[in-house]
Amino acid sequence: MNCLEFRRELNIHPQSTDADFVAHTRECPRCAQAQADAVAFEVTLGRALAIPVPSNLAESILLAQATQQRRERRRWAGGAGWLTLAAAAVIAVGVGWRVTRAQPLGDVAIAHMLGEEAPALAMTAPVADDAVRKAFAKRGIEIAQVPADISYVQCCPVGKYKSVHMVMPRANGPVTVMYVVDDHVASRSDFAHDGWLGRSVPMAHGTLVMIGHDASQFAQIEQQWQSTLQTATRI
Amino acid sequence: MASVGSKPDVSSKQRQFDALVRSLSGDLYRYAYWLCNEDALAHDLVQETFLRAWRSLDSLRDTASAKAWLITILRREHARLYERKTPQFADVDDVDIADERDAYTPESVGEDGLIRAAMHRLDAKYREPLLMQVLGGFSCDEIARELNITPAAVMTQVFRARQKLKSMLSGDVKEAQLS
Repeated sequence: MNCLEFRRELNIHPQSTDADFVAHTRECPRCAQAQADAVAFEVTLGRALAIPVPSNLAESILLAQATQQRRERRRWAGGAGWLTLAAAAVIAVGVGWRVTRAQPLGDVAIAHMLGEEAPALAMTAPVADDAVRKAFAKRGIEIAQVPADISYVQCCPVGKYKSVHMVMPRANGPVTVMYVVDDHVASRSDFAHDGWLGRSVPMAHGTLVMIGHDASQFAQIEQQWQSTLQTATRI
Repeated sequence: MASVGSKPDVSSKQRQFDALVRSLSGDLYRYAYWLCNEDALAHDLVQETFLRAWRSLDSLRDTASAKAWLITILRREHARLYERKTPQFADVDDVDIADERDAYTPESVGEDGLIRAAMHRLDAKYREPLLMQVLGGFSCDEIARELNITPAAVMTQVFRARQKLKSMLSGDVKEAQLS
């Protein structure tokens, strides 16, 4: 191998272990130095390309997969044949449409929380503040500060409402927080459904819904979001 | 009645999927980020890749080829995304146009930042084979199969990618020294 061939190989495989390549480094000090520089560059390049990975990436993928599986299982549950399913679906769509229209926000939010998104209640690792900001930005709201201890965030349609769905783990169990954009409840109200307690509060640009088993945890969360949403702006 | 053997083993499939996600999602995210240059989009691409992988997990026979298999799905998903993507136009007066190189001074980002900036400026046809080699650890033959080009073309592209990258970086350093 001559110097020209070596330099070409060096730019293709800087850490080549090919016998001719290695032999040339012993014979030619200038090429050996070039290889040492190239290897150092590869280390720097590898480090620069290894950008940080979001801390909850694997969990969020597994959650999405579990959610999709539940949805598919539910779609095909029963095994009574597609005709039966189709007929049932037609009825369900008709009834569901009327029920959804008639259902108050709190009930729809609880149904959503216990449906496809149920695995989110078990999540405890905090998500990055940026993920929360991005979810709000997707809904057209820019927030500067993000309340601490949010373990799940996703933009979800909740019935007819557009929401940012979050989970905030607390000492007495997780509190589901849904910020419903552009839908203002007239006043603060408490509700209960299926053993769950909830509160909806009118806030800037929408309504905040909190759901959990312990309503005493709502006040602090409400205060945190009041302060965040007071300074929020429309994008 | 279905025999025991004919029913797919759901729990082992789930375990295999969990292991794939936990071991390879980070590598895939980095690869996706360098493909699309956007962290939120990279996250969505990786998630969609794994959801598609779940649906066809039975076709993965060899765990050693799992990474290449996932990269193939990810690249297809990325291509699909750009087929669907509608360009959004904004009034030029509303856009704050800054020289992106201003954001990458040696003082503000250090050596890694300069390399990242140079990577962003590298043409996709050079960037992608280099990424597959450095981040993915793939051989030139594997890259050639994935990119559907000849191994000789891969060698030329990674050769030029390194040359261009080094030339851009030496330019940045000279500029930084002059300013």
